[in-house]
Amino acid sequence: MADVKMSFGLSVELKKYPLNFPILNFLYQNLILNLSDKPYYIMTQDFFAKGADPVTPDNLGEAIQQAIEIEIATIPTYLYTYYSINRSPDQEAIKTSIIEKLVAKGRPPIEAEEEAIDLSAELMVFANKAGALIMSVAIEEMLHMALSSNLKQALAGMPDLVGKSPVFPATLAGHQPPFPINLAKLSQDQLITFLKIESPTDLPDPRMLKTINYTTIGKFYQMIIDCIQKNDLKYMDGPQLIEGKAFYAQNNIDTVYYDKKHRPHFTNMDDSGDLCHVHDKASAIKAIKCIVDQGEGFDDEGLIQPGDRVNCTALVPGDFDDPEKKELSHFEKFVQIYCTYNSLNDRFKNLDIGVTDMYDYFVVNVADNPKIEHYPANVVPVANLLNAVYTYIFVMIEDCYRQSGNTQWEIFMFGIHKSMIFILNSICGDIMSLKYTYEGKEYVVAPTFNDYKFDGKSRPKAQMIELFNKAVAVFPKIQYLGQRIHDLPDVPNVSSTNSF
Amino acid sequence: MATIKYSPEGNLCGGPKPTPTPAKVPVELHVCMGLNACKGHDRLGTNNCAGTGNCATAERHNCQTLNNCKGQGGCGLYGDIEAQSNPGNNECAWQGSCAVPIQAERFRTLGTERGKSVWLQARKLFEERMKKANRNVGPSPYKCGPPQALLVRWLDGYDSCGNSGDKSCSFGFNNPEDNAKRLCEGKRE
Repeated sequence: MADVKMSFGLSVELKKYPLNFPILNFLYQNLILNLSDKPYYIMTQDFFAKGADPVTPDNLGEAIQQAIEIEIATIPTYLYTYYSINRSPDQEAIKTSIIEKLVAKGRPPIEAEEEAIDLSAELMVFANKAGALIMSVAIEEMLHMALSSNLKQALAGMPDLVGKSPVFPATLAGHQPPFPINLAKLSQDQLITFLKIESPTDLPDPRMLKTINYTTIGKFYQMIIDCIQKNDLKYMDGPQLIEGKAFYAQNNIDTVYYDKKHRPHFTNMDDSGDLCHVHDKASAIKAIKCIVDQGEGFDDEGLIQPGDRVNCTALVPGDFDDPEKKELSHFEKFVQIYCTYNSLNDRFKNLDIGVTDMYDYFVVNVADNPKIEHYPANVVPVANLLNAVYTYIFVMIEDCYRQSGNTQWEIFMFGIHKSMIFILNSICGDIMSLKYTYEGKEYVVAPTFNDYKFDGKSRPKAQMIELFNKAVAVFPKIQYLGQRIHDLPDVPNVSSTNSF
Repeated sequence: MATIKYSPEGNLCGGPKPTPTPAKVPVELHVCMGLNACKGHDRLGTNNCAGTGNCATAERHNCQTLNNCKGQGGCGLYGDIEAQSNPGNNECAWQGSCAVPIQAERFRTLGTERGKSVWLQARKLFEERMKKANRNVGPSPYKCGPPQALLVRWLDGYDSCGNSGDKSCSFGFNNPEDNAKRLCEGKRE
């Protein structure tokens, strides 16, 4: 049993329980992480758990830290699913397979080819679009983490970022009703989880038995806004990640997809949000509004219905998050993927050629919630390096809240950007060329996105270089990353979390 | 197996000391075809006039933050609007926002010029610089920059980083040459 005391007073207790009905009532009064036939973990917490206390000046810092950790939890969740998508599947192979199946069903070859070209092109566009949309959300979640960190820096002091990634399966801290969040490949079930995370309306849950903590992230942030509006708070002047310094870009090539005519489409808009220097009431509320609007949309009516059904009706103004009404909210982006899948998959089903799930064409078979201990010895060093790079990104971001001027700029641009766009992305791609067998099933190796526990004996970068040396010894393919890891800023780990 | 050794000085300005190399006559480092200011300053050293060079003299790289020094970064696929407006004009090491060389198919992802050619922007900046220097400029070997397929042949494989797929491929419903022509004409891809 592990008992972790978090810096803001949240007591997290991990207990291992077998699944059985007598404890169901207990489960509903805590956070249910995984309803499966395996042992699972339950996270019990005190913070906001009793009577939905409003946010007050006394606990404002704790509330904002909770917000930061909510944002952090979404990042590996979305990235894992993103990396399960082959955004450029082999169209020729898909087309040939469809033609063969159609001809076997008696369709004339020319007709079969026309159908196959169209269907495979639609599938190519969908695979790429799904990836672009999920990445566009992931980068905005990183923006949200920075915005909420700015809030904390201004109103309560240093944000805690290192060691705050959840253990999967996880939950959003404080969300009622609780629902399990898995690292999982792209599927309709995983999209339902995404929709629950971003839902603008309360989740329908007739089982809910107790006073809520918060029912949507928007309502949680509203409690913080209420506190900021009602109170004359002091705004402190510490380093923040602010606009106008090239730290944040709304789009990059990974948020772009091509249509059937190979014309690029951009999933984020330039005016959809940016970093914000929090220094007074107005800027604090502006930062929060950006987070909420991007996530849930301006005033969406909500589309999750009882039974986890999604209403795929036409877009309404509330589905957008920018003034120009061109960028969909996170919630609506996931609705688009979910509903496009349904209509396109129906086309496959109607052909009656044995294709029941078109995700099989382009989604990589990664395990749910993989653990490093499940990986073979030749993979473990690479997985450890990946986790160290992932964790070091949080170390560097946290340090950006201690540094200012050119030092902060260099850490962000040369450390965080290089790590995210090049090093982490490259290792994630490379590690997924490996396979392993666990409990009799073969899977593709995937990032586990665990916080790596840097010890206090040397600086994290030195430890990361040692990890690289071990990893490249068993996986020479990543040799090209050595100099880039060496180029990273040498940032100390002074996280307030003891185990890190 | 090459491994790297941690150097406590190895941070940003420091790192391992460069290996001494024999002195040679330096050339201007630029990021792509048609962007050379001087005779003989392209990768082959055989061009005869400003703007007519065949390829970059800056070190080839495939992503943001990987350029060696001032003026040696491409741009277009990452970075903010300012960076995306200034291919080959970055101020320092690791400030470029994309790969070098700049394939003709690359487009900008932010700002009012979103979807338009990066190479044409690089060439525009280059021609402005030459005009200011009272220099005539010859035509680029390829009017709109080197196509990706050409760079793949010349460089034994080439791509800029990113996961959104082939920048010129067809799904069976378009002609890649038409797309390239649109981009070349200054239209959005």
